[in-house]
Amino acid sequence: MPWCMDLPGMRLLHEIEERSIEAVLFFSAIASIFVMLLIFYFLIHESFRAFAEVGFIPLLFGEKWHSAGDIYGMMPLIVDSLIITILALFINILIGFPLAIYLAELAGPRSKAILKPAIELLAGVPSIVYGFLGVIILVSYLQDSLDMLTGRSILAGAILLGIMFIPYLTTICEDALRAVPSEFKEGSLALGANRWQTIRHVTIPAASSGITAAVLLNIGGIIGETMAVLLVVGNVARVPSPIFDIFDQGATFTSVIAGEMGEVARGSLHYHVLFAVGFVLLIVVSILSIIADLARARIRKKFGGY
Amino acid sequence: MVKIRLTLATSLALYSFMFVSSVACLVFQPDLGIIAPVWEAALLIATLATVISFWTAGNIPRNKARLLAVGLLFSIAVLLLVFTGTLYPEFVIKRPLGMGVSLGYSFILSGLIFVASILGIKDAINILYGYSAKGREVLVFLAIRLSAVLALLILGGILFTIVYKGIWVISWEFLTEPHRRLGQSGGISTAIVGSLWMVLGAMVVSAPLGIGAAIYLHEYSRNIKLNRIITIAVSVLNGVPSVVFGLFALAFLVTIFGVSLLTGSIILGLINIPTIILTSQEALKSVPNSLREGSMALGATKWQTIKKVVIPSAMPGILTGIIMGVAKASGETAPIMWTAVTFTATPVQMIYGFIPNVFQPVNNLDYHLLNLIYFLGAWDVEANAWGTALVLIALVLGTNMLAIIVRNHYRKKISW
Repeated sequence: MPWCMDLPGMRLLHEIEERSIEAVLFFSAIASIFVMLLIFYFLIHESFRAFAEVGFIPLLFGEKWHSAGDIYGMMPLIVDSLIITILALFINILIGFPLAIYLAELAGPRSKAILKPAIELLAGVPSIVYGFLGVIILVSYLQDSLDMLTGRSILAGAILLGIMFIPYLTTICEDALRAVPSEFKEGSLALGANRWQTIRHVTIPAASSGITAAVLLNIGGIIGETMAVLLVVGNVARVPSPIFDIFDQGATFTSVIAGEMGEVARGSLHYHVLFAVGFVLLIVVSILSIIADLARARIRKKFGGY
Repeated sequence: MVKIRLTLATSLALYSFMFVSSVACLVFQPDLGIIAPVWEAALLIATLATVISFWTAGNIPRNKARLLAVGLLFSIAVLLLVFTGTLYPEFVIKRPLGMGVSLGYSFILSGLIFVASILGIKDAINILYGYSAKGREVLVFLAIRLSAVLALLILGGILFTIVYKGIWVISWEFLTEPHRRLGQSGGISTAIVGSLWMVLGAMVVSAPLGIGAAIYLHEYSRNIKLNRIITIAVSVLNGVPSVVFGLFALAFLVTIFGVSLLTGSIILGLINIPTIILTSQEALKSVPNSLREGSMALGATKWQTIKKVVIPSAMPGILTGIIMGVAKASGETAPIMWTAVTFTATPVQMIYGFIPNVFQPVNNLDYHLLNLIYFLGAWDVEANAWGTALVLIALVLGTNMLAIIVRNHYRKKISW
């Protein structure tokens, strides 16, 4: 009955339905912007008092973190986080990147069919489980084999984080390597280069923005990872002396927040300082995410599709 | 296939043996009493064999000798250290450079043999292929395969350890009884039930928001600038550390809802939104435009098209995203540890028997495990901790596996 579709009331009803659904969807789309703004608002709001009372520069670059004496300076956290991140990233890339090359270029269809889901599965192991294994296995291994005072150390944190983030790095790098059009590789092979020369001089350079994005996202993840680090790093906020002593105990941004927030009184200076630490962390990670996003947008432009 | 000489084969085999055994010794730290003389002999023979095969191989330009020199000098140095007695079983480097560590005999010797074997394998393969580009390719691919094996060994070892240690603890009582005496005995039922409710709540919050946002971004939005801003906000939100979400919940949600199941569900839901948006967008992208156009051409409105054609076609992908969200939400600890949980043995209170009281804190698997880890030194809770870890990863990896199966199933089935 085609005439009933033309009734003006019916059309109006459809129009209203369409519009209201679009409005609902629009609000759920801008919800993430809204949540982001809320997070920034509350972290700034709660950390404001810390910056006002301790002072901006002393809080950021003060060399002592001593919560019992209400002395707060983030320098030890910055140094320890930096050392842990660099070491963890080194381990992570050393194992994760070859694995990505293997999956993207060398593995046969059968080993890939087993490996890829296995790696995706391992990306899901909760960080508290890694922390548990770190405490039971890694810390006691370091303590015994290297005769350390306590195995809880910067090194333990770095090894644990490095291993933990292998699946993430591998997955993103593999996608980036795979996104390189096969014409590139075939051209190189046709010119007489062998497979390794092709990977080294054609595939990896072409995938470099994707690899950069993967590394940046991983840095963000490593800096922001909490539970595993909290359990193995020792939670002593001091700059290691000498500075390259990775066998010393340390504390990162996240481990300080997670370790101390449970015991502070709401509204005390210590409480606000921990929010300030969280705010610094948020800024660092957000910048990394934005750069990584731009790098990925560049690949999309370069090769079209990802 | 390259023809391989006996001397070269000898050195390659010896170096491989040294590589494997030194890695094993580095990991397991056994007494080196038996293996040390074997290593010394093997290193001596392998080094000599390498030199002989270098001189007898006809196809190698003599100026490549300097490449060989590094590995050779290292091996000789190790041999000298051992045979002159500089490196003896009680040898120890105490606190080098003021660092809090002491390097013992077994660690140093295993490490040196490890490095020597890597250098040796490099030289042997290079000699085998006459220092050509092919040789380098073989070497690099060998290294890549080795690190792939290493990664799998590590990751497989993690799973194996948890299953092996945890499986003995699991019993019907462990799964269905609350814990007693600070987790030393009893089970983890309150933690399991609390986790399930919290994850369910998180999905109620995040699934509609995430899927709605993905539909808007992919099907409706024509404003490229707004799209770009939302995409950036989503990727930033995706990167926000979970502990920062915890701070946010503490400053905002806890002041409204208190430390409660509701707070935990909302914050886990917010954490999940980016995952669901990104996977749903991928799913919508894979629906071909011809389906939409066909539906529109039949006179369907835009929403009818989306509801009846696009969403059903994209459902497997969307479902994958939701299942991945479940896995992610059940593995988070930092955001809820001060905002939603207590180490309680009382079960979740129910209103009318089936609606949980959302304004009370609950126990949670992650938090339960965290508490057991804190008690490790003081009380005998290790066995129960392994059991909890096993239940937790069974839950998380089980849902993840489900996601992978769903995805692969539909990827095979649907072809446009």
